[in-house]
Amino acid sequence: MKLVAAAARLLLGGLFLWASATKVPDMGAFAESVANYRIVPAGLVSVTAAMVVGVEILASVALIANVWSRGAALILAGLLAVFTVGLASALARGIDLACGCFGGNDPATWWTVLRDLVLLALALGVAASSRPAPSRPIAGTPDPSSIP
Amino acid sequence: MNTFAQMAVIAMAGSALGLAANALSPHPAVLRQAVLSAAEAGGGACAMPASETPAVSAPAPWRPARIGVEEAKGLCIACLAGFVDARGAHEYAHGHIANAVHLPPAGHPDELSAIAQLRTYPLVIVYDGEYSCAVADDVAGRLRRAGLTDVRVLQGAWPAWVASKGPSEAGICGVCGLEAVPR
Repeated sequence: MKLVAAAARLLLGGLFLWASATKVPDMGAFAESVANYRIVPAGLVSVTAAMVVGVEILASVALIANVWSRGAALILAGLLAVFTVGLASALARGIDLACGCFGGNDPATWWTVLRDLVLLALALGVAASSRPAPSRPIAGTPDPSSIP
Repeated sequence: MNTFAQMAVIAMAGSALGLAANALSPHPAVLRQAVLSAAEAGGGACAMPASETPAVSAPAPWRPARIGVEEAKGLCIACLAGFVDARGAHEYAHGHIANAVHLPPAGHPDELSAIAQLRTYPLVIVYDGEYSCAVADDVAGRLRRAGLTDVRVLQGAWPAWVASKGPSEAGICGVCGLEAVPR
């Protein structure tokens, strides 16, 4: 089970590290992709795009290094939730847009939404598996469950 | 450190990292500049590429002229143009320009009556939902061959219409009334 959790964590981290690394060479193009979703005010698009890429990089590195994995996985889950809702909303409104997911210009489809949902489930699974172990009772204190 | 603190640190440090990465990027996003969507910018979607402007020396194949969203919106509100939705049935059912006729590239079972209705308008505007406007160009060509003289393609396609908050609906009729009597 631990092996599966580690594999999922590395897969998610690696995938997001790759996705963010492909965006860095052309941040302007990624900002245009973000603008096409039309969920961020035009004046904040560039800053939002840059911050999203940075958060993706740091969260994916944290996952790969297994440092703060739970927080990193939840951050990525949040990003994926926003991406999924934005994509689905755009597709439902008939807006034809490029996904911008991996720095390319591939058109977004309902398959892209499905892929994001799978990744969202993976991120939530990684967060759940990274749950901190329950703290042990301090020596000398009574076990709460033993108190009548 | 608890999970929320971890998330806050990653979000803040990541944001700073992203701004630094943007500064180092060969093609950075210009932070102080507003970035409009392709549809709002007007030229990104469905624009006539510069290389496809009609040649002077050789007769170019007929290409439908483009019409801007604001002009088309005025014609729609005044019911002075017939609109043709060239997208798929699902997209049309979900929302389309008010009073638009659905004519997908594959044809429509009642196409003759739809074309007869469109013939009463001085101008017909075709739109689709794609950046290239290839589908709208295709349907516009078909309408032109059917004898409609002034057929244009909506610049920016459906995304531009949505962005400009043009009259749209999910049923059959809209601003022109249930009977949709064209002028």
